[in-house]
Amino acid sequence: MNQTLNQIIVIARRDFMAVVATPTFLLFLLAPFFMLGISVASGFGGAYLAKSSVSKRQMVAIVSPADSALLTANNQAVRKRLYGPDNGLAELRMIAPEADVAAQQSALFANKDIDVTAIVRGPLSTPVITHQKGEDRSARFLATLSEESLRAQRLGGSPDARLSEAKITEIVQKVPTKSRQQKTGSGAVVVIFILTLMLASQAVGMMAEEKSNKVLEILAAAVPLEAVFFGKLIGLFGVALLFVAFWGTLAAFGASFIPASLGIGAFAPTIGLVPFVILGACYFTMAYMLLGAVFLGIGAQASTMREIQMLSLPITIIQMAMFGLASAAASNPDSTIARVAEIFPFSSPFAMAARGATDSALWPHLLALGWQALWVGLTIWLAARLFRAGVLNSGGGFWAAFARRPTTPPAKSPA
Amino acid sequence: MIDDTPVRATGLIKYFGNAHAVNGVSLSVPKGSIYGVLGPNGAGKTTTLRMLLGILDPDAGERTLLGHTKPREAGNRVGYLPEERGLYPAMKAREAIAFMGALRGLDWNEGRTRADAMLETAGLGHAAHNKIRKLSKGMAQLVQLLGSIVHRPELIVLDEPFSGLDPVNQENLEKLILTERARGATILFSTHVMGHAERMCDRLSIIAKGQVRFEGTVDDARSTLPMRAHYVPCSGVEAVGALLPVGAERTATGWRFTVPDGGAESLLLKLIQNGHGIAGLTMERPSLHDAFVKIVGMSATEAAEALI
Repeated sequence: MNQTLNQIIVIARRDFMAVVATPTFLLFLLAPFFMLGISVASGFGGAYLAKSSVSKRQMVAIVSPADSALLTANNQAVRKRLYGPDNGLAELRMIAPEADVAAQQSALFANKDIDVTAIVRGPLSTPVITHQKGEDRSARFLATLSEESLRAQRLGGSPDARLSEAKITEIVQKVPTKSRQQKTGSGAVVVIFILTLMLASQAVGMMAEEKSNKVLEILAAAVPLEAVFFGKLIGLFGVALLFVAFWGTLAAFGASFIPASLGIGAFAPTIGLVPFVILGACYFTMAYMLLGAVFLGIGAQASTMREIQMLSLPITIIQMAMFGLASAAASNPDSTIARVAEIFPFSSPFAMAARGATDSALWPHLLALGWQALWVGLTIWLAARLFRAGVLNSGGGFWAAFARRPTTPPAKSPA
Repeated sequence: MIDDTPVRATGLIKYFGNAHAVNGVSLSVPKGSIYGVLGPNGAGKTTTLRMLLGILDPDAGERTLLGHTKPREAGNRVGYLPEERGLYPAMKAREAIAFMGALRGLDWNEGRTRADAMLETAGLGHAAHNKIRKLSKGMAQLVQLLGSIVHRPELIVLDEPFSGLDPVNQENLEKLILTERARGATILFSTHVMGHAERMCDRLSIIAKGQVRFEGTVDDARSTLPMRAHYVPCSGVEAVGALLPVGAERTATGWRFTVPDGGAESLLLKLIQNGHGIAGLTMERPSLHDAFVKIVGMSATEAAEALI
């Protein structure tokens, strides 16, 4: 046992160093910076695009000069009151009515240079509003603007004149409501999923190096295959921990600048934040080990890099399926699907992490961690068996991996 | 119980699909000996070694490795050089040796110390800090061999250790194997190069088509063929042919023939009595190569192809 443990450590250490002591690792470690950079650039681009598209959109009012003046006077105040300062509504353009208003309206909608979202015409007491499909917000605004403008006029002419002035105050919920607990659970599922998606799927190519360098037989002769698989998984998990530690530290540093009202207080796990984080770390470990073992086992069957690349799609689908199941569990903590997700070994770490946010009992977590650890062992054992049967040519194919050895008497060896 | 037979196999059988790779191989390797497993390509040598080491499980038969019926339990007492050479290209030579030692339970730092000494002895001291990818094929092969013995195992199993090495490195490897034997290790190696086996092996098995065709010493193997003699008469070279056994071959100066079962004395006496005299007589022992070809049952062409 001790010897096997030592061998696992030797393999884990070799694999860890082989990954970490390369320039490529820096690229891997800093990859989220590139992702953030791209996100920021896309954000700027998107905002610019949205702004330029808003400027090309117009709402049009075909009204008399008197109504036009009234609408103009109330336009900014109403849109700000209804939708806030950055409301994203198209600008409002006033046009005097011509003899044939219907034809005038049709011509405006047919204009290729300006995207007219909605047109209001007629007297403000009985406005006729026509809008493009999907632009009902513009239509509702024009209706409200007509109503408010008339109301303001009758109250004395000031756009700010109100019959009732509401005072609106925003507060931060401090009681851990069920809804917030579920959101915390869903957040945990997302975080663990993203981490395993980024880190565990690397396991798929882990045996490729040994196969291509033909080191496999040395390892197979010296070490039980289960120990080879487990050592590799531990080594890669070490790399993942380094990654999480680096980004976790940065995230914690960044979080210290977030106001208390928006930061830590926003999470509301039933069992308390610290136990929840510890549980999260345990479930991340289990999710990594379980999915990593599956990917390692699948990848070990591949003979070429092309086959390994082809495996990335089914692997992503497996991960997405587990994420979907666990998300459903997080949204409906007391449902049957939640129980299924908690028991099914490959979604269990995600679903149980979510449960930590809504259920204060600790024993289910101990049970779940034991159950998941058992499945880590089973998965590694199965992967090693299949590898031995299929790749090391121990013979017989898939089912032979589980069959008992024949006990027929040996043929007599000729002298 | 202390077993004087570190490796013992009885009736090992292995199928790959429907192919019978090994069909009832039995062998015993005495402690402290150098034991060769000889055979043409595809004879089942590698599969046999893999089964002995527990890399593959036999479909039938028994094996014992250093007293263990489950070979893996022999663990760190075994060193193994596989036929397919493989090292991590990004590892330095000394690290590769230390890593292989660590897999067999040797402390990593101790492994480095031993690696430095072994590399120095093998004339590769200058390459200790070179990455494997920078080494020549022969140097990398030597590094791998050193890695398989760095933990000083009792039993060293080498699968085709000489293949791919130039004559100088082959000689160095022979010396290394003899040094390990002198240390007390038992050496089991496979080869299809008869010269190495002839020079080094205390005992050997000849395997063909998955079956052991011969097991014994090199001399035993040679003895499977009769002695041959090269006879040069004083006179009447052509006439001598009629007095010699069937199958005698004419050479430039005389005749080569197979010595009859009862010995050459009576035949020589007859030649002298017929006035041919003896200008020269050389008794030729059959080579291991000749014995191998006969035991395996190959034609000369098959032998040439199989032993490449």
